[in-house]
Amino acid sequence: MAKPKDTKLSLNDFGKPCDRLAHMNPENLMPMSRPLDCREPEWSPLKEETKEKYMASLDDTLVLNIPRPQSKREEQELVRKFLSGVEKLFQKNNNWTFLQPLVSTVEHCAKCQTCSDSCHIYESSGKHDMYRPTYRSEIFRRIYQDYIHPSGRYHKTWKNGGEIKLSWLTVARLGELSYRCNICRRCAQSCPIGADNSVVAREIRKVFSQELGIHTVELHDNGSMLQLKVGYSTGMNPEIVKDNIEFIDEDMSEKTGMKLETPWDKKGADILLIHNAGEIMAWPENIGAFTAIFQSAGLNWTMSSEALGYDNINYGLFYDDVQFARVVIKHFQCAQKLGVRKIVFGECGHATKAAMIIADRILTGDLNIPRESCFPLLKQLVEGGSLKLDPSSNNFPVTLHDPCNLVRLMGIVQPQRDVIKKICPKFREMTPHGVNNYCCGGGSGFAIHSGHNFEEWRFKISGRKKLSQILNAFSDCIEPETKKYVCAPCSNCKGQIRDILGHYNLWNDAGITYGGLVELIVNAMTDVKPNYIDWDEII
Amino acid sequence: MATLNLGGKEVEIDEDGFIQDPEVWDEDVAIDLAATEGVDELGEDHWKLVHYLRDYYLKFGIAPMIRKLCKETGFDLKYVYEMFPSGPAKGACKVAGLPKPTGCV
Repeated sequence: MAKPKDTKLSLNDFGKPCDRLAHMNPENLMPMSRPLDCREPEWSPLKEETKEKYMASLDDTLVLNIPRPQSKREEQELVRKFLSGVEKLFQKNNNWTFLQPLVSTVEHCAKCQTCSDSCHIYESSGKHDMYRPTYRSEIFRRIYQDYIHPSGRYHKTWKNGGEIKLSWLTVARLGELSYRCNICRRCAQSCPIGADNSVVAREIRKVFSQELGIHTVELHDNGSMLQLKVGYSTGMNPEIVKDNIEFIDEDMSEKTGMKLETPWDKKGADILLIHNAGEIMAWPENIGAFTAIFQSAGLNWTMSSEALGYDNINYGLFYDDVQFARVVIKHFQCAQKLGVRKIVFGECGHATKAAMIIADRILTGDLNIPRESCFPLLKQLVEGGSLKLDPSSNNFPVTLHDPCNLVRLMGIVQPQRDVIKKICPKFREMTPHGVNNYCCGGGSGFAIHSGHNFEEWRFKISGRKKLSQILNAFSDCIEPETKKYVCAPCSNCKGQIRDILGHYNLWNDAGITYGGLVELIVNAMTDVKPNYIDWDEII
Repeated sequence: MATLNLGGKEVEIDEDGFIQDPEVWDEDVAIDLAATEGVDELGEDHWKLVHYLRDYYLKFGIAPMIRKLCKETGFDLKYVYEMFPSGPAKGACKVAGLPKPTGCV
């Protein structure tokens, strides 16, 4: 089939002044299976005052909200600071995190487009050129080579113009375009030479945040800044967290018939459990299930009531190295104070990867505390006989979402499957799965972004492939009478899957709900009251 | 920041229609905020929920957990959605004058 004309975009068009550079025509979007085999509606338009205030001319939506420069001077300042930031990305002393993959990607990508075919955003959009993983990178590469790289910079200052017309608009659009990638790194996995175009997106975000002070309100002001100030990005300080956990202990004691009691600040415990504290607010069943499992298995564990010690979130991973380092150090100082033997991270992908891998170079000496994902521990408990389990309680179709950070990017593939296979007789895999999975569409923090019409983009474009996988996994029982469960053992993925199922009304129309892994375990435990997963409570 | 006439005064709202300054909230503001959510009349139970949210917010500075809200008002979640179709966070909290929820929730 010929590529529709309105999915084409040349690199030279990128700086072209216009109202909207690319439009994702609903006609072109990747088709979905039953019951969503119908045309998507048009996009809700951005408001006129929004377009006046911000650079909003990239595509149909807006998330970074870059203010339009008010004078020639401000325009030049934006370009200058951006170039200076890009220069730093290529210096060893200024980029301790991603220098190596960035340099090898910028220098060696052969533009073969293998990665485009692996990208869910590109595919879901109906293969619009703007969303090729290489499109963004190629604009970035040309700017780097023409204006920064020693062989280019003295020949082509930005006033004279290099291959890419460098203007404030080019720079601002590139910033906005860095937020059209979930940083799931499926493109890097498919690349024959290991180039990583998603790291380019992440590094562009970093330049905007660290050099220009431009970041999304959700990740920065209401995210890492609020977390550093009060302890957690919803604004929950230690006192409120303790109060809420006390409530969860009582509430889930009623639900399970156990006497649940969360241990706080226990010095020298074997395990410090750090949840994504979003679970406390939105999914208390997940918190209660961990407590029920750990308590039943007789583990020597604790939670920390110190600010940040109860919340594993680290949004800096998605946009800013400095914020990243500030937060991760606090997490490990909390563990150090308690003298625990190791840290176990609850069901949260980005936090686990942030602390286990990316922080490796920061956590030296005493701070280098052993740490692990909860999945291997849960496998050990489920297989080890310390929990009494009856799989027939989970006698409904279950599929498993693979959180990118944990699975593709850390290689934690099997333990969660071993748990599910043991307790869910009607388990079925998605296609593809494991390290070849697709992102939920909420990756790199998108699940918490909903300003303007960005939610529509999360549903129509970035979440489309995952939703299609979910529908296909349940195609043999898609009627709403059969209740089905998507196990999404990561807080961010869970938020995205909740939102997308809700948007398309799939609980009512197809009987599909979602939840974590530990809820399934407790639902199968025979010494707690039945129906921990309560279908009647789902709306 | 956009403003909207709510309860007879000009009130600053964010792009999703949440008021920015909890101090300006009163019951007239709540009635007009409810109208923006498609809730034309606030009955006794609506007010019970709205006041619970408002009181909790004034005490703790954030919104309560949804389960806590249900338990302490005695309303199950389905009923909350019946009263405020866009739900407890986006609907009821908005009417109660709370800011938009933040973080992974």
